[in-house]
Amino acid sequence: MTAPPLPGFVPTHLVDPFEIFVGPVFENGEPGAKTYAIRADARHMNRRGVLHGGMFMTLADLTLGQAVWDATDRAPIVTLNMQTHFLKSAVEGDIIQVVPELVRRTRSLIFMRGDFTVEGEIVFTASSVWKLLGKD
Amino acid sequence: MADRPAGLPEDAEELSAVGFNQYVGPLYRLPDAEGGAVKRFAFVVAEKHMNSAGSVHGGMLMSFVDTAMGQTSRAGTSATGGSTVSLNSDFVGPGRLHDVVEARVRITRRARTMVFLSAELYAGDRLLLVATGLIKVIGG
Repeated sequence: MTAPPLPGFVPTHLVDPFEIFVGPVFENGEPGAKTYAIRADARHMNRRGVLHGGMFMTLADLTLGQAVWDATDRAPIVTLNMQTHFLKSAVEGDIIQVVPELVRRTRSLIFMRGDFTVEGEIVFTASSVWKLLGKD
Repeated sequence: MADRPAGLPEDAEELSAVGFNQYVGPLYRLPDAEGGAVKRFAFVVAEKHMNSAGSVHGGMLMSFVDTAMGQTSRAGTSATGGSTVSLNSDFVGPGRLHDVVEARVRITRRARTMVFLSAELYAGDRLLLVATGLIKVIGG
C-alpha cells in the first residue's frame, strides 16, 4: 500500500489527519506541474465495489489544495466551493492520476480545476475555489 | 458496531456500512423531519476527520453529504443502488472536533432514473455546508 503506484513517484507529504487516514498519495514533477497519483484500494470502495464518491472528492480537495499550497508558498487557505462530476467508475487497483490546473488567481481567491484519469480516460472532474485567509 | 460516541442523539441508528463508509464512519440515520420530506443523518467528528487547521476536513464533509444524498435518493423505493453524477458544495463554516454533524437532505425532484437533491450540514445551529447533487438511481 505504501509503494509508489508508478515509477518516479514519491509520497506526498500530508499533514491533515483525514488525508493521512485515506492516503497515501504520491506525486511526480515540479511544483506548478505536479502529477498526483493514488492506487484505489479496498478502504476506498462503496458497497457496489466502486470508488466511493467521497473518496474522489477527498482526493480532489487534497490534490488541488496541494497545488494551491505550491502556488502560494503554503499560505493559509480554505476551500470555499467545490463542483464535481462523476463520469465513470473506478475500481480497486485502479491508479487515479491528476495534474491540478490553476485557472486564475486574484488577490484573495484561487480558482483550480482537475481532470482525474485512469489509464488516460477521464473518470472524474473537479473545480474548486479557494480563499487565501487574511486577504480581502 | 463501534461504541456510540458522546453527544450522539439516542434515536440515532448506525448505518450498515462497508468499505469507505465503514472506514470513515460510523455514520448514523436520524428520524425524518417535516413529515418525511427531510431525511436526517449524523456523524460525530473524531480526530481522524480533521485537517491541520483544527477543522473537519472538507473531504469528510463531502463524503458524508454524498452518502446522505445516496441514502435519501433510494429511501422508500426498490432501487438497489445509485451513482452520483454531480455534486456541488459550498463550505459555509468550519466543523470542530467532537461536533455532532447532522445532514438534512431533501429531494428537489425525482424523475424516472435521476434524482435532484439538496442538503445542509449543521453542527447544532451552525451551518457548515450546503450542497446540491444529482444521482442516477440503479434498479427500482
